[in-house]
Amino acid sequence: MKTRTMTLAAAGLALALSLTVGIGGFGGYALAQTGAVSAALAAGTVGEQADGYLGIRGAASADIKAEVESINIKRRAAYTDLAAKRGVSVAAAAAATGCKTLSSRVGPGQAYRLLDGSWAVRNGSEPVQLPANCPA
Amino acid sequence: MKRSILTSRRDDATRSAMAWRNLLAPGGLAAMAMLPGCIQVTAPDKPIEINLNINVKQEVLVKLQKDAEDLIQANPELFPQ
Repeated sequence: MKTRTMTLAAAGLALALSLTVGIGGFGGYALAQTGAVSAALAAGTVGEQADGYLGIRGAASADIKAEVESINIKRRAAYTDLAAKRGVSVAAAAAATGCKTLSSRVGPGQAYRLLDGSWAVRNGSEPVQLPANCPA
Repeated sequence: MKRSILTSRRDDATRSAMAWRNLLAPGGLAAMAMLPGCIQVTAPDKPIEINLNINVKQEVLVKLQKDAEDLIQANPELFPQ
């Protein structure tokens, strides 16, 4: 019985911690996680996708997967707000942002994912291959 | 007393002319069905898949360009670099 109480307490603590990370955003823990995602972006294991979300390329640690998922959930919320404000679909708001992230935020050597699901790595000074429907 | 003539095509209303038309009407329908220009509509046997990502029109993306830029600038924690 005592063990169960301890387990419950631990679960509660973990939940509280994850909630803090999810809502806070500026906490030290969250910053450390975002730093890990930045490193993964630089390494090419995480990349921007043309659909406006972050994607995982190949193998990534559970921490990075969780943080990418958390970022994507918050992005979806932001896209949903924008979509409602402009009377467009959430997918359109997300894709418009995807055009921006691909064109301006993928550095040389970093990976990005196209709409067909294939990954590409930006080669040096060459521009990123944008989806055909992105504004030039 | 003169009989009045109601229409100039009074012969069309005779029994034999009507009988001819009764034969022609279904024949006409059959002939139309056989024309090559007719469009046959059949239900697809597979569900129709629509890829929303690819169907976002460029004009919509152009309209959202500024908003997307603002969204990225306003939420730096969602767009790590």
